[in-house]
Amino acid sequence: MVQQKRYSPGTVVLAVGTKRGLFLLTSQDRVHWTVEPTALNGNKIFYAVFDPRADYRLFATDNGDFFGTFLRYSDDFGQTWQEPRQGIQFPEKSGLKLQNIWYVEPGRPDEPNVVYVGTDPACLWTSKDNGETWEPNAGLLEHPTREQWGPGAGGLCLHSIVADPSNSDRMWVGISAVGCLRTDDGGKSWKFVNKNTRADFQPERYPEFGQCIHRLLQHPTQPDILYQQNHCGVYKSLNAGDDWIDVRGPLPSDFGFPLALDPHHPETFYVVVEEGMGRHNFGGQFTVYRTQNAGEEWEQLTHGLPSGPNVRLGVLRHGMCTDKQDPCGVYVGTNTGQLFASNDRGENWQLIADYLPSIYSVSAISL
Amino acid sequence: MPVAIVTLPPVLRERADNQTRLNVEGATVREIIEELERRFPGIRFNLCYETGELRPYVNIFIEKENIRYLQGLDTPVYAGAHIRVLPSVAGG
Repeated sequence: MVQQKRYSPGTVVLAVGTKRGLFLLTSQDRVHWTVEPTALNGNKIFYAVFDPRADYRLFATDNGDFFGTFLRYSDDFGQTWQEPRQGIQFPEKSGLKLQNIWYVEPGRPDEPNVVYVGTDPACLWTSKDNGETWEPNAGLLEHPTREQWGPGAGGLCLHSIVADPSNSDRMWVGISAVGCLRTDDGGKSWKFVNKNTRADFQPERYPEFGQCIHRLLQHPTQPDILYQQNHCGVYKSLNAGDDWIDVRGPLPSDFGFPLALDPHHPETFYVVVEEGMGRHNFGGQFTVYRTQNAGEEWEQLTHGLPSGPNVRLGVLRHGMCTDKQDPCGVYVGTNTGQLFASNDRGENWQLIADYLPSIYSVSAISL
Repeated sequence: MPVAIVTLPPVLRERADNQTRLNVEGATVREIIEELERRFPGIRFNLCYETGELRPYVNIFIEKENIRYLQGLDTPVYAGAHIRVLPSVAGG
């Protein structure tokens, strides 16, 4: 019998999803880190996250190259894994075939057994029993415009899920090359909320839908405020997505993937914009960009981050996160297998893991 | 109903109670898969999409013939046939 692994209270645990398996990094002081593989070895783990409401059940999206894509969960910090009793599979009559599971979002604090998942083909899935059984959202599956949705380069992926903790009927989702949608009736119907976000690759620059949203997050204390990193800009909304404000300012590029918030300073968020064609840092300096006033001004955070003529690092949409400590930790994983960490809101950085497979995602929890 | 001998790849053996080789009843490859699913729930999704078609990087051979070049999942199975499930040489 495998002894159940536990960590002491106060441990920060990072779940790092990579092209070849899931890794955990742990630390008591956010200075010294231990890297451990999990039993999920070899497959593409797009995303993994702990659900603290369910005794730290660890969910992981196991996207196999050959024998299918599965959501898995572990109750012993990755030593053993189970499959849901009724997993994520599209109804046969839908004609859809599950390509990848992109994202897992534990539900609201007042819905303790609820978990959400986003997939390619784009769909929101809901479990009401801690991940044992799953149902697709009919409102998205049968959206009247669905036949006009085309995939982005990464697929027709639903990659961001925001369940409004202040309103159980309201949620937002982000779908690549489709945009941001909001429901105000508990998922029965969804409307596009893309006003003033650009689609420079379309004939119409401000279409109703078709924008390529890359990441979407909600302000931690003001539920009508949202932030998004888009293929064509960085935006904030002050009115639940009814319209958006371009906050790119002096950032060197519109283009980037990840977005992360400082939970204790909600006007602070982080992006990693990139050179658009090569999709890597500008000019040999790997840089995380921070605003402390919701996009009015931006700072370049570079202390401890690599520079040099050979430095061309990219970060994917789930490759950056923060923890909930104060000052918050910020964690950035690259698609070349480096994981950088800051324990002081991004002022200083250290390389805490190297030689990992290409990093798809980082999520953090404090036990 | 003919009984075939089915060999699974290592990655699928855990789902099949760690068995490598199985005697499975079925008149076609499709029926063989259905019987495998009955005995080891979930294994069909390892082999086929929700729409029923074989996954693109899963190959099924009857003796040395790839069913993709026969009648696909409707390929008839004869008693004692050796059926092998193999992943494609692909990926990166």
